[in-house]
Amino acid sequence: MNIIETKNLTKAYGDFTAVSSLNLHIRKGSVYGFLGPNGAGKSTTMKMFLGLTRPTDGAFHINKKRFPQNRVEILKEIGSFIEAPAFYGNLTGAENLELIRKILGLQEDSVDDALELTGLQEFKNRLAKRYSLGMKQRLGLAGALIGRPPILFLDEPTNGLDPVGIHEIRTLIKSLPKKYECTVLVSSHLLPEIELMADDIGILNHGHLLFEGSLDDLKFHAHDMGMPDDNLEETFLAMIDADNQKRRDRR
Amino acid sequence: MNFLSLTGIELQKIRRSKILLILLAPVVIMWLPAIINSEKIQDVQGIPITPEHNFFIQGFMGMVWFMIPATLIICTVLLIQIEQTNHGMKKMLTLPINRRMLCLAKFAVLLLLPAVQMVMSTAAYYGSAFLSSKLQGYDYILPPGYIFPCIGKFYLAALPAAAVFWMIALLIQTPVFAVGTGLALCVPSVLIINTDYWFLHPMSYPFYMLMTEYGKAAKGLYTTDIDWFPWLPVAVMITVVSLAVSCVKMSRYEE
Amino acid sequence: MRFGMELKKLRRTGYFPAFPAGAAAASAFPILNMAVRTEVYTGLPGNPLDILLDASWQMMAMLNILLIVCCTCMMYHTEYAENGIQKMEVLPVRQISLFLRKFLITTAMAALVIMIEFAALAFCILMWFPDAGIDLKEFLCHWSFEVILLLPTIMVSLIIASACRNMWISLGIGVILVFTFSVLPKDYLFLDLCPYCSPYQLLTAAEENGHAALFLGVCIGETALAGMAEHIYLKIRRYFS
Repeated sequence: MNIIETKNLTKAYGDFTAVSSLNLHIRKGSVYGFLGPNGAGKSTTMKMFLGLTRPTDGAFHINKKRFPQNRVEILKEIGSFIEAPAFYGNLTGAENLELIRKILGLQEDSVDDALELTGLQEFKNRLAKRYSLGMKQRLGLAGALIGRPPILFLDEPTNGLDPVGIHEIRTLIKSLPKKYECTVLVSSHLLPEIELMADDIGILNHGHLLFEGSLDDLKFHAHDMGMPDDNLEETFLAMIDADNQKRRDRR
Repeated sequence: MNFLSLTGIELQKIRRSKILLILLAPVVIMWLPAIINSEKIQDVQGIPITPEHNFFIQGFMGMVWFMIPATLIICTVLLIQIEQTNHGMKKMLTLPINRRMLCLAKFAVLLLLPAVQMVMSTAAYYGSAFLSSKLQGYDYILPPGYIFPCIGKFYLAALPAAAVFWMIALLIQTPVFAVGTGLALCVPSVLIINTDYWFLHPMSYPFYMLMTEYGKAAKGLYTTDIDWFPWLPVAVMITVVSLAVSCVKMSRYEE
Repeated sequence: MRFGMELKKLRRTGYFPAFPAGAAAASAFPILNMAVRTEVYTGLPGNPLDILLDASWQMMAMLNILLIVCCTCMMYHTEYAENGIQKMEVLPVRQISLFLRKFLITTAMAALVIMIEFAALAFCILMWFPDAGIDLKEFLCHWSFEVILLLPTIMVSLIIASACRNMWISLGIGVILVFTFSVLPKDYLFLDLCPYCSPYQLLTAAEENGHAALFLGVCIGETALAGMAEHIYLKIRRYFS
């Protein structure tokens, strides 16, 4: 069953189309790896899912609910981390999470749980503006993970983390569907990481979806197209290259 | 999540923002000159007003003309900047909160801040009146039964201006321009209050209230009766329209 | 080239449109004032320019000072917001040169603002005092007097903005200073000579009291002293950061 589906989802800013006729299908309880070069439209798509930006055309549903009619119900079920950590610098890590806990109506121990999950327990009483880049990233993730929401949108969650941190977050994300029946939409530039944690892949370029399916489907697709199919990085680069070439030829 | 809980959350966000210092500084600056000039207050220059009323009116004149509106403007933009600096607003918008309620909760916090400043001003008034009394050997202290209602009126009269500044801060994204526009609107209050259309300028309302009190204290100098019509309906309309525009703007906020 | 760099940094910040907008707001005062209270002012004896300045300059000067405070805060907010100033500090550029270029840009814009305001006053004279002519030399003297008297305010506002990473602190200090100096008693000459107070002075009143040269000299001196203080501050700042 698809928990998130989009139908011809489009976002245009004047002349520039960031997302064009996107048809995504994200299975419930899976990790969906959202790939694409910089400026492909991944963050824009996630922002549309969260109501941060309005689609120009098309529609989508999240767990059979739609924006803007069911906005509050949708957001109750989603934890998100988009583009950059979002927090209040004048509050401590714990205080930032406490705000989110109260809004979501979660138990009091959710804050400590989220801090524990992201390795911030030791720094919970430090002001967020004094966090290092990696700590800010972890705080943003803690804000998404608090209360173990059924749906997670993570936009480049391992940015700025050290190798140990990357491993921890990857392991965590991989475990979420099995442990908590969580559906995770994760975008990343670290293709090896996506290869290790994603069940399904969506490849976006210039706002268009080039491929959607499992990693095995991608291998077969690449093989059929005469592209490298040994590892995700080579396949990805070949697909993007081919698409960019097609665009240049069209022009 | 109900309105009161959300207001509580909004209040938590201003912790360690040094906003209380911003509120306190003008209060101190206002009342220190009053103590220094307390001797001159005795010279009422032929106006039929007692020195203690003169002390109170002169002391609050600068407050209601400029300091209260300026504080409202700075607090308004500060509240918005707290959200924008580390993308806090982005997080808030991805949480299950009614955006209009969020807007009104922030406005409630905004209203609380000048209320705190009024309390500080009252304390500063009594402190400076006490000191001036000791210095000049004249009792400048007026009873709380007079002071508290006056200050309450000044505060209530400032609410429409607060709504307008809140709307400006949401409509004008660049904070410095929002501040500049607000301050530019405050400056002409002294002139506008003398025209027939003063009620169209919400920043003049606290000054208007002060002048009616001045009139009561200095009989025959100014009108003492408050012209409720058309002032009250216009004030209510300005407040409601400003808040409505603010709520619409907040509900349409896009990243 | 470096001057152009400072100008480019202010692109799309709203800095340049702010000045004509502020000038328009300040210029509206005398025009509206005359339109609403024509008989009051046309009935007064004396030089029309002096009548108009007596009636409107206090408000116009306050708006000018507020505009300077806001725009100087914005200049440094542009530097501090995304840490652009750190890039400047690691390039072969003298920090005081950057500061002085900002000062010159702000002074030029302020001079333009005052010119627009005097143009509005000229309009009022042509409109409501048709018998009196426009004496360009008189206007030029008043204009240059007001520009020079605004220099210490520009310099101090820039210093405050450069010292505070947080724009709200510099803006708050600026607004408090503007207000404090506007409510201080006007009986003391030394207060009138202070930054944030000097822009309220008028050339005619200063000449009558024999203080015009004093105002000009003190304002230029204050500007130079404040500039030197900023130079020293910039040198020692890195030891404390």
